Amino acid sequence: MPGPTVSYRNLLVVAAFIFLLPIWARLVPGSALHFDIVNLMVLAGIYAFAVIGLNLLVGYAGQVSLGHAAFFGIGAYTTAILCTRFAWFPTWLGVLFGALLAGVAGLLIGIPVLRLKGNYLAIATLAFGEISYIFFRQSGITGGTVGITRIPPFSMFGFSFDSDLRFFFLVWICVMVLMLLTINIIQSRVGRALRALHSSEVAADAMGVNTGRYKTKAFVLSAVFAGLGGALFAHFQRYINPESFMLTISILFLTMVVIGGMGNIWGALVGAISLTFLPEVIRALPQWIPGLPEGLANFNNYVLVLYGLLLMVFMIFMPQGMTVGLARGVSYGEMQAKRLKDRIRARKFSRGE
Amino acid sequence: MNLNLKENTTERNRVLWGTVAFVALLIALTVSIKGSTGLQWILSGLTVGSIYSLVAIGFSIIYASTRVINFAQGEFSMLGGLLLYSLCTKAGLPVPVGFLLAVIIVTLIGAGFERTAIHHLRGQSVITMIIVTIGFSIFLRAIALWSWGSNPLPIASFSGDKSVRFLGASLVPQNLWVFGFTAVMVILVFLFFNRTLVGKGMRAAAANPDAASMVGVSTSMSSLIAWALAAAIGAAAGIIIAPITMPSYGIGTMLGLKGFTAAVLGGLGNAPGAVVGGLVLGVLEKVAGGALPQGYSGYTDALAFLILILVLLLRPQGLLGKPEGIKV
Repeated sequence: MPGPTVSYRNLLVVAAFIFLLPIWARLVPGSALHFDIVNLMVLAGIYAFAVIGLNLLVGYAGQVSLGHAAFFGIGAYTTAILCTRFAWFPTWLGVLFGALLAGVAGLLIGIPVLRLKGNYLAIATLAFGEISYIFFRQSGITGGTVGITRIPPFSMFGFSFDSDLRFFFLVWICVMVLMLLTINIIQSRVGRALRALHSSEVAADAMGVNTGRYKTKAFVLSAVFAGLGGALFAHFQRYINPESFMLTISILFLTMVVIGGMGNIWGALVGAISLTFLPEVIRALPQWIPGLPEGLANFNNYVLVLYGLLLMVFMIFMPQGMTVGLARGVSYGEMQAKRLKDRIRARKFSRGE
Repeated sequence: MNLNLKENTTERNRVLWGTVAFVALLIALTVSIKGSTGLQWILSGLTVGSIYSLVAIGFSIIYASTRVINFAQGEFSMLGGLLLYSLCTKAGLPVPVGFLLAVIIVTLIGAGFERTAIHHLRGQSVITMIIVTIGFSIFLRAIALWSWGSNPLPIASFSGDKSVRFLGASLVPQNLWVFGFTAVMVILVFLFFNRTLVGKGMRAAAANPDAASMVGVSTSMSSLIAWALAAAIGAAAGIIIAPITMPSYGIGTMLGLKGFTAAVLGGLGNAPGAVVGGLVLGVLEKVAGGALPQGYSGYTDALAFLILILVLLLRPQGLLGKPEGIKV
């Protein structure tokens, strides 16, 4: 396990890389890429909230959830309803309330549901997610299928985060703070307990870890993170409707965790960023090659086909996720390079040099 | 596939008869209060329930032999219906031929997926299996959207639309097709798993893979057959319901989730349970949908998921299943 100093240093490197992105995005004209880096990075950052929490739950504690879009939605709808019904309501308080309510929902649903394991837990959380989605879609207070429009932009101390760039910094600073928090949690007693119950719940129980309690803690924490992300999502998009909180989104979160690398702190960021960009990159690909025939240039049709295919291919070839898969690839490359070097040295030796 | 033959069945029987009594009471109440309208709800409930049953059997067969929840099960039905549209409505083939061809194509797709993905992922974590089947379902849905578009496609009924009056409720011939076909399928599945050597071998492989492979049952083969069979049953279910619901690329998701609820309700991995679960769910949904006041009927979809959570918390082995022991 890496020592704390290493992780903190990595965090600084990652933060520096991410916060310099807008400058690079300026250098490349947007029309050449055919997608907006800053806008997509905001979305990736918002998803990263949910994914960091879910990684704690899935990757560290080993508990599956297919219902986290519900917490994302609870966060979003709470702040949206509060800030549109009451014009005086401060948006930062709305976001806080959203996260809090998501946490309460996480506690209420987590206590009974976390007694289940594996497939059954996945099913139960999926059912919870679907019920929440149906509620968002049908209820009057959430605006039905139309949703809620004209949500005020996020503002704090009189400063309004009303542009993509401003929101970018807000979101990613928050993500870095969450990462710091998560690194500390993982390296604390709680983190050890979570990992212990991941490898064997019975053994962890026998060693005196209160598994039920730790599972609930991880679940509530991940719900709060998702709620926070959802609340910021509402203030970023300025409108929300039930489509953003469907089963597809729960699946997206889980996929981000798995593709990034379960139980790897950086996996959450890798997963969130790569899967947010993936469809846009696929869509933009034909535009990068000039002179393509009309039929091929319209790539919209293939986006989902490729997405589904990539998920399968990923799971078959890199079931441990990208971070582990890439690390393995790198170490394989290093091994091959070393072997090549040895062979060259041996040949030189045999030639008597 | 209920595997443990010598278990104590008294408690299970009590639950089963309790369910049957509850449903009978519900039906009697609905019919006596609402008259022929109530009967109409029950009949359409049994129709969708039959389809849920078939989808649930698919889930159960795959779960019993590979411990995988196939999130693409509903997509098999979707493909079946859409292929029937292309083969019969578009290309003008007779229905039996189109039916057979569509089932064969979907079976090959299911078997192909088992060989390329599931076969290589043996022993991987639950999450990996969930995501790989979800990836497959997204892939199939995208292919369907690409080839058939997003509109629901009309398919002619197998034997006309002249409705029959039945105690004041109207019954179209396609309903009878659904009932009859479901009954035949259930009997065939039962015979396959109880009377044929291959079926018995698959049950053995499901119960104890190591012991089964020691006496010469190929677990790899039984996994392949399970996927092919589940795909075939799913496709057939999608075809038989197609004239009533009109297939489109998106119907697989809800159908899959409902069939899956039915499978859990009956006991995941238990084929007779899947049938009971499907019929109960279908009737409950239609009765609730009819009885709820106007404007609230959108909530009926939530009913299935509420049942799902309650069953998991109170009786995770389902109505007909036996409890699974805790493994260290």
